[in-house]
Parts: sequence; structure tokens; C-alpha cells
Amino acid sequence: MGREAAVEAFLNPREPLDAFPLPAWADPKTAFVAMRENFAERRKARMAAERDKSEAAQKEFRMQQQEAQRESRRQGFEGQGWWFGRLMHSQAPLREKMVLFWHDHFATSIQKVKQPALLLKQNQLFREHAFGDFKALTHAMLRDPAMMLYLDTQASVKGKPNENFAREVMELFTLGEGNYSENDIKEAARAFTGYRFDRREGEVVHVRFQWDGGEKTVFGKTGNFNGDQVIDLLFEQEAASEYLPKKLWKYFVEDEAPEPIVKRLAETFRESGFKVESVLREIFSSRAFYDSTVVRNQIKSPIQFLIQMSRELELDELAAGHVTAAQVQLGQVLFLPPNVAGWDWGKAWINTNTLLSRYNIAGIVTKGAESVDEQEAGGDDMMMEMAKQGNGPMARMMARGTQSWKGPDYEKLAPRALREDPERLVDSLIARLFQAELGSKQRAIFVDYAKAKKGAIFTNHEVAELCHLMMSTPHYQLA
Amino acid sequence: MKTRREFLRSTVLGASATWTVPMFVERTFADMHVAAKDLATQAVTGKDDTILVVLQMAGGNDGLNTIVPFADDAYYNARPRLAKREKDLIKLADGIGLNGSMPYLGSLFKEGDLAVVQGVGYPNPNRSHFVSTSIWETGDTANRSNTGWLGRYFDNACPGADPTVGISLNKTQPESFGALKNPGVSLSSPELYRWMHSSGDMADAEKFFDSLNSPDAPVDGASIEMLGKTGGIAGEDNLAFLERVAMDARVSSKQVLEIAAKHKTKVRYGATPIARSLNMVARMVAGGMPTRVYYVSHGGFDTHNQQINSHDRLLGQLDDALKSFFADLKDQGNADRVTLMTFSEFGRRVKENNSAGTDHGRASCLFVAGAPVKGGIYGAAPSLTDLDKGDLVHSVDFRQVYATVLKDWMRTNPLPVLKGDYGTLGFMG
Repeated sequence: MGREAAVEAFLNPREPLDAFPLPAWADPKTAFVAMRENFAERRKARMAAERDKSEAAQKEFRMQQQEAQRESRRQGFEGQGWWFGRLMHSQAPLREKMVLFWHDHFATSIQKVKQPALLLKQNQLFREHAFGDFKALTHAMLRDPAMMLYLDTQASVKGKPNENFAREVMELFTLGEGNYSENDIKEAARAFTGYRFDRREGEVVHVRFQWDGGEKTVFGKTGNFNGDQVIDLLFEQEAASEYLPKKLWKYFVEDEAPEPIVKRLAETFRESGFKVESVLREIFSSRAFYDSTVVRNQIKSPIQFLIQMSRELELDELAAGHVTAAQVQLGQVLFLPPNVAGWDWGKAWINTNTLLSRYNIAGIVTKGAESVDEQEAGGDDMMMEMAKQGNGPMARMMARGTQSWKGPDYEKLAPRALREDPERLVDSLIARLFQAELGSKQRAIFVDYAKAKKGAIFTNHEVAELCHLMMSTPHYQLA
Repeated sequence: MKTRREFLRSTVLGASATWTVPMFVERTFADMHVAAKDLATQAVTGKDDTILVVLQMAGGNDGLNTIVPFADDAYYNARPRLAKREKDLIKLADGIGLNGSMPYLGSLFKEGDLAVVQGVGYPNPNRSHFVSTSIWETGDTANRSNTGWLGRYFDNACPGADPTVGISLNKTQPESFGALKNPGVSLSSPELYRWMHSSGDMADAEKFFDSLNSPDAPVDGASIEMLGKTGGIAGEDNLAFLERVAMDARVSSKQVLEIAAKHKTKVRYGATPIARSLNMVARMVAGGMPTRVYYVSHGGFDTHNQQINSHDRLLGQLDDALKSFFADLKDQGNADRVTLMTFSEFGRRVKENNSAGTDHGRASCLFVAGAPVKGGIYGAAPSLTDLDKGDLVHSVDFRQVYATVLKDWMRTNPLPVLKGDYGTLGFMG
């Protein structure tokens, strides 16, 4: 397949959008029915608790609240697992990578939204629009329940406009700092009033009497604008052509986007009517994308680190406990961006602690960090020790995950015949883990290590140790 | 065929003869860091520098039941079930009583080594744990900063410092440590802050590991300018950056492990997590770590239900841990070097709730403790009747507390760290 055909295959994946069935509680057909019932139930309980002040009634109410919180947490974990599984197994990798891009761009956190089903609904929306019309997606975000709860449009009404969404839609979503005035935000916030997510119907409506229908002036234009009209105005601004392409270049290529490239991409973006697909096509066909200074010089995000590792080791799954605990330790938890600006990428992922955590997670996943005795005993003392240090749910999950973890199939990854020759074994593992040639220093050290390890036979555990060593390197953090 | 020992010597170490492991450990980090190329800057050695311990009371500490306005009727009206009586308190000043579960802090106050700062908060308070913690940790009330106040201190005031300039005993990096250059290190337990590999005869694996986690460029005999290539900040490529962090991790891990193994304390500590954390801090101080800031957490303050016993218990645990900690420092002869400050993301609502607990509120009090502290009560007690949506209105901006600690204890200009001039409170010596 030529380069062009490959790019087209990535941009036009055949995997259906619903290829991975959602958890029952997030199924769009039933989620809102459940949410409505839940809502009604809690309302009833709250009213009962307000009428009846007795200790028993209050206790009953508290227990009900706690149960609801527990269920929401459970769903949260399950939802994270669902997306992680999809990232691992998807036949549409570029689309999933774009879903992660949108999740970071339109950052929305479960911490505030609290309803996992809404986050999964938003996640599916990102998938539908993955390569599509950015303007249409921005319009859709105005009516996305999770975003509405996260940026307080739900609570923004005529007379008391909340400026949160108005500010972020300009600063973080479409234009970037310096391309709007404080007054534009104030006026736009009035236009964004009256949007309501009706929890009982599961629908977003624009309530006319809560909308400030008065005259507003935004970007020098005056009218009785509503939210959609303000979004249209945003896309008339010159800055809207550059903002997203620049961010896409940074996401896919390098930490800084060269000015001339941004200009070219911006032109393409505007001419195509803000089609993300056309920008991506241009990025992937550009000479600069294949330049030796940018290839394998990107620091993997924690999610990319975990997904790539699983794919390289041909794992069907990671232990459920590892998935969340590893995300927490490495600093990127799905559905839990730190704030509305999303995650800090690149070098910000790495500090002494997260780097050692990456090495140690690789040790757990490869099973290369276990001693032979531990393996024979079927236990895993070191990891148990690690888990014992914390008493929180994370530590417990980690421990449970580790106990049952089988590890990669090394017979398949490194067939016995290959192990006869340490050089060939190392080269094969380098190709698998780094997808490129490594510096001669690194290769020499790996080969020396393999030779030092090789006794009469090269055991599976020794292959695991070799893989672990190869992953415990600065080079492995790059993609 | 070569023996493995020869093999190691000739290949791993031999391949880069200038890199011997012990040399690395002896070498100070400051030499390795590009920031040290500014020779006018004195690298931090830490052995006799001032030390700050930041203690988070996570969950939102109920300030009104910590420092109690026992002469105010409004307090009893708002809290019929939770109010503390005068007889149960340690009186600090007219109408101000300390929760009776904190006898040690009471004695510190009498000795003039405890500052109580009342009414601390910030404008437009946020009642979310997550957001408000973030605001306290970043020092940015807009909650947009990607760096923390302590991380900015490391970046601005400690150029060329070891990564161990800041040590958090939390499992994850506290937001306050977020930095552009040096975010400190985070470890829940020093025993785990290391590369874990299979044991047995694989001690040799560490040598391979060390070699892989060292910068590619030769360093021995290299000029400071050459060091810039591996330690550069601006324009440093990602691989060089990763190699530098990898080396920092490796060397600081060795350093932490050695010190933790070497120093045992003579003072008895309780079995609570906060006591264990403070014990670890004391050991590292004794061991002469070059650390300027330690960060520890004491959780559970989100007392929505039946708080009376749980809140007193948490304060008592804190009091007990601090008692051991300060006795330990005194024993080491380090008492004059260490100041400890507490913070919590918010206080609680003035009025108790229906479950004999308190809900998320706003302004609260905090403690600054240690021999270097000028004890007393700072900040005006917030009115219990002139409330904002049922909450106390702050009289002291939390950044005034930070500014005081930065300027009068850490001896640095607070301006670039806090990005504003908030004035100081005078509680440091």
C-alpha cells in the first residue's frame, strides 16, 4: 500500500461506530430512562428527608445517596475500561487517537459531571465527528449535556449569565488567547443563556424565557444573537483557521508548529469548510511529517504508552486493576482531565517519579520484574509489597490485577529458534518495541545483556527480563 | 569465553569508560544540571538551609471547631449539636480556644512556637474539593495555572538544585509541585522509589540499567558548556530531556534509599499514616538531604456526617504526630531549621447540617509551627453573622501566608512565585 492509500485507509476506517457495545447503563436507548427513574427516585427521597427529620429517615436518605455515589463510581471505572478496551482493540486507530484529541480539546471531567453515561455519550459524539466538520462539532458541544454541566451553561440564565462556556469556547476551543475581548465574552455569555439539559427527557432544549434575547455586540457585530449564531461568528474570525490546525500539528508531529506550515494548514482548513479530515490528510502527506528530526521524537502520553505496550506485547487485555492504577500513576486518567485546558502534553508527562513508574509498570506488565522464585510460587512478592504501601482502592486494584496477571505469550513473541542467537533475538524485539533502529550503544547493551543471561536455554522469564530492560529506557518513551 | 564479570567490565562500563557508577553518586546534581552553568548562582547544598514542611489537611478542615470562637453566641446558635464548650478547649486568647484534642499544639502556642492564622481564604471561593485544592496548590484563583506555587519556587529560587529539592510523601505528585524545570520527586515510600527488577543474581541488571539511563554524550572532563547539550532546557530535544530525567531518577533514588536506610529515629511515632510520613521527613532531614520543601498529607476532613468524634480524632492524630516530629527534630539538633505549615482546601459551613456534620464552606484557619515561628494569632476572626451565602468571609488571602513563608523563611522574593504582591503577615521570626 502506498503512502496515499495508507492515509486514506486511516481516514476512512471500516470499523462501525458501534462496533464496541456500550455498557448497558450507557446505552443511549435505555440510559435516559434509567437516569430519569434515578432522578425521580432521588428527588422523592430528598423530599421525604426534608419532611421527616427523624434520625431513621435521615439515615435512610444518606444510605441512598451513598449507594448512588457507589454506583456512579462503579460506572465510571467501567466506562474508563470500555474506552481503554476500544483503544486497545480498535481497527480504527487514527479515529481513536482523534477521539482522545477531542477529549483533551473539549476537556470534560467526570469529577464534576458525575454521570458516566453522559461522558460516554460525549465520547461517541467525538467518534462520529472524529475527522469531520469542526464547526459542526463546536455547535454540538453547545448542546452536549456533559459539557453543559462541566462549564455551567446548565445554570446560565437570562439576567444571570455564567461566563464559563463563553470564555472557554473562545480561549480554548476555537480562537486562542488574545483573539477576543473581555466584552466579547460578557456579551456572548448572554447569548449562551437558556440552554437546558432536561434530565427527565434526556434532551437538550433552548428555553426561550430563560434566554437573554436582547441585543449583543460580539466581535463588532450587533444582533439578538443566540448561542449558535455566536459560534458562527467565532468561525468568521481569522484566528479560527489557525488555532485547531496548529494544535493538530503539535498533537501528531512535534512540540512546536512552524509558522509557514500553520499558515498553509490554516488555508486548507478554511477552504474545506473546517473539515478536520483535510488538515490531517495534508499533515500526513507533508514532507515535514517524515522528517528525521520529528520521527520518533514525541514523548508518548501515558495512554499511548499503555496502549502501544499492550499492542507490542500482543496482549488481549491488561488486568483491569492495572489499567486505572497505571493511568493514575502516570498522570492521565481517561474522563478525568485536570481542568478545562486539558492535559499538559510532551515533556510535562515526565518527571523522575512518572518515569520510574513507567519503568515499573513495564516490569509488571511484562512480568520481567518478578524473580524466578516468585514465579514458581505463583505469587508476586514485590508487587504485593508495592500494593501494600498504599491502603487506598488504587493499591487494592493493583494488587488484585497483579495476582491474576498471566503476562504476554513469550513463546509466540520470541520463538525458541530465535532465542538461539541473542543478536537476532534483540533485533527482533527492537523491531517489535521500537519500530525503528536504535542507536548502536543501546543495541550493544541489550545484546550484551542477552548474552550474559543466556544459559543453556533462554527461558520465557529471561525474555521477559530483556523486554523489561528494553522498556526501562528513555528511548522507549518516544514514539 | 569470557566470564560474566569480565564481560560486564569490558562491555558495559568499558564501552563508556568515563562513566563509573560510584562517580555518579558522588557527583552533585548541581554539576550535572545546565542551570548550574550560571556560575554566579550558588547551588543549593541543603545541609544548613531552611526547610519547609507543607502539611495538607485533605477534605476541608472545619476551622470553626479547630480554632473555636467560644464566646460568640452565634457559634452556639449555628451548631447546637457540634459546638465545643469553653471547658473542653485550650484557651489561646480572649474568646479563642483550640480544640481540646490538640494539647501539644497548645503547649507550642504557650512557648511561642505556633502561629494561628484565622480567616484564610480567597475571593470567589469554589466549593469543589477538586477545584479548591487546585487553587490552593497552584496559587491561582482562576484555576488555570499548570504549575504549582512550590514548583515555581523550585524553578525560580533554586536553579541548579537536585530534583530532591522538593519531596512529596504522597503517591502522586501534588499539584503544588508542578514546575517547568524541576518538579521535585514524589514517593509514597522511599523503598519504592527505584527501578524494580527481578532479584536473585540479577544485581548485574542494574549496571545495564544504569548505562542505558545515562546521557549518550560523554560527561567526564566535559566543560560546563558541553553539559548544556544533555541538560539544556530551552530547545532541548525530547531524548536529551528524557535522558536527563532518567539520570536524575536513578541518582536521586539511590540517594533517598541510602539516607532512608541509614537514619533511624530515637523518638517514638504513632502508627497513623501522618505520623509515618512525618517520621520519614525527619529521617531525611537528619540524613542531610538537600531538600527545601517536604509535602505530606493527612486525610479524612470531609466531615459531612456525625463529625464530632471523627474530627476530634483527626486533630488528635495530627497533634500526636507533630509532637513526635518536633521532639525528633529537637533531638537531631535541627529544630531551628524546620517550619511546618498546614493548609486545607476550604473550611466548612458555619451552620451544622441535618446529619450532625458540616458541608463544604469557605474561609478557615491554618497553623504555622516550629521553633523559627513567631507565635500568636494572626488575621482577624471572621464574623459569624456577616456571612456570604452562609459562609465565613475571608480576612486573609492564602497567598499572604505563602508570601510570608517564601520571603521571611525561604528567603526568596515571592513576586515571581506568586505572580503578585500580597504582602506578608509577620509570623516568621
